Amino acid sequence: MKRREFLRNSLMGTAGLSLLGFPFAAQARPKNKKLVILHTNDTHSRIDPFPSDGRANGGMGGMARRASLIKQIRAKEKNVLLLDSGDIFQGTPYFNFFGGELEYKLMSQMGYDAATLGNHDFDNGLAGLQKQLPHASFPFLSANYDFSETILKDKFQPYKVFVKDELKIGVFGLGIDLQGLVGADMYGKTLYLDPVVKAKEMVKILRDEQECNLIICLSHLGYKYDTDKIDDRKLAAQVGGIDLILGGHTHTFLEKPDAIISPGGEETLINQVGWAGINLGRIDFEFSTEGKKKGYAAAVLPVHERTAISS
Amino acid sequence: MRFHFFKIVLLSLGLGLSVSCQRTWHGEPALQKTMLGVTATIAPDAQAEKTIAPYRAQVTKQMAEVIGVVPVALEKLAVESPVGNFVADLQRIQAEKLTGKPIDLGLMTAGGVRTPLRQGNLTVGDIFELMPFENELMVITVPAVVVKQLLNYASQPHIYPLAPKTLSTSNVAYQILNNQPQNILIGGQPFDSTRTYTIALSDYLAKGGDNLEFITNQVSSQKVGLLLRDAIIKHIKELTAEGKPVEAKIDGRVQVIVPNTPVEPKQ
Repeated sequence: MKRREFLRNSLMGTAGLSLLGFPFAAQARPKNKKLVILHTNDTHSRIDPFPSDGRANGGMGGMARRASLIKQIRAKEKNVLLLDSGDIFQGTPYFNFFGGELEYKLMSQMGYDAATLGNHDFDNGLAGLQKQLPHASFPFLSANYDFSETILKDKFQPYKVFVKDELKIGVFGLGIDLQGLVGADMYGKTLYLDPVVKAKEMVKILRDEQECNLIICLSHLGYKYDTDKIDDRKLAAQVGGIDLILGGHTHTFLEKPDAIISPGGEETLINQVGWAGINLGRIDFEFSTEGKKKGYAAAVLPVHERTAISS
Repeated sequence: MRFHFFKIVLLSLGLGLSVSCQRTWHGEPALQKTMLGVTATIAPDAQAEKTIAPYRAQVTKQMAEVIGVVPVALEKLAVESPVGNFVADLQRIQAEKLTGKPIDLGLMTAGGVRTPLRQGNLTVGDIFELMPFENELMVITVPAVVVKQLLNYASQPHIYPLAPKTLSTSNVAYQILNNQPQNILIGGQPFDSTRTYTIALSDYLAKGGDNLEFITNQVSSQKVGLLLRDAIIKHIKELTAEGKPVEAKIDGRVQVIVPNTPVEPKQ
């Protein structure tokens, strides 16, 4: 009798649930999910490690080692996003000889999910960039360069939404003002648009329309300037809703990610891992369904392990 | 029984609603190393190595060629930079050879010269590191006011004491007093504000790069048909062919005069 009653109740319960249309209710309380974000910036064509000849960073870096490290992490982690914040080009003869072909091929093999454009990625002009794009299996995201009057029209998206384990991660890209930094004939009719305005637009789309669980900005604006020039810290302070800014351009080695209180009171993390592929950045996010994101004081910040960087 | 049914429906309803409300996943950064060193302890990935190998073979072969000898390292220093002097001078010399005309000045910025030249054998690879950019050597003709603006800029206190910002000039001598250039000599002749001057430089600087916007005030400009890096390699090969080493000194072409300090004769 008891058993039959149990069965009947269960069936009724299930029927009731189906009628009411709550598919998630059938599951037990969901376990937490984990996302591993790996990132680089300003890798500057450093295919091989710096020579060990007493120079700064001697023996560090190397893309084949980076590929190994990424494979090791992928072997242990289910949800990995691999991102780059620009300036993939320029710095070694590999770029002078092959124009970035090998850099893109290796990054494609490593399974990069997205990158943004740095100023040096324009060093061989728009045609030089266009020529190498077929070697990249990953998209370049740029929300504040307008290429519509150039040969690169429709080649880049402002953002991309990645789905990992049912988590939606919105990633968008921001580039630095090219005027004065890159030869005008190199970037041609590429327009630089206000990064703050575009970032607000991106957050609105990614939060409200795409309903992303996490928003990442790939930025080549630079970490910090003492002038009025826009940087990652000013961006975080002016635009709410970005969870993480992965920066570049200033070749900054951050001991741990910066946490900035953004409009709305939530924190935005900023990270940057130097240059030349000396380091691979890693930030893990734990996702739960319990409550809102915690404020600054309660946040557990990732820690930095001092690495053996010779200088 | 009826009671049970309702209880379960209510329970389910409650559960359903609560899950519905909590359906959004919230991310929190987790305690984790955030900078992983790409060090020699990590074995290179075999697939990546295989992809790199043919490219590396080509690069190595060309980069390893020894083109000269450096007896004393050419450092990047403030005010006068030996490596900056070397490049500014060779730009002018090579531009003269290629155009067949005398050139008044050579100009290079510290940011344009990426590394010092280390003591020892000098390879093509070293020159690629010194000058990684695909800049072209060119000659511009400017009104005298541009030369004055250039030296004024070079004499600003935020420029000359800092090696990363130093301007290197060739065939020019001047003193910096109270952040102003004094006693300017160009090719040994006093600065003449009524004439034009020719400057050998990179196309990057000619377009006003490194904050030299004023330099775009040009009467004419001419590309000499050589990448700046190739001009450097050519110059070093010529020195070697003549049996000369790669040398550059701080030769007093720029002197900073400290005001109200009488110069004491050396004992």
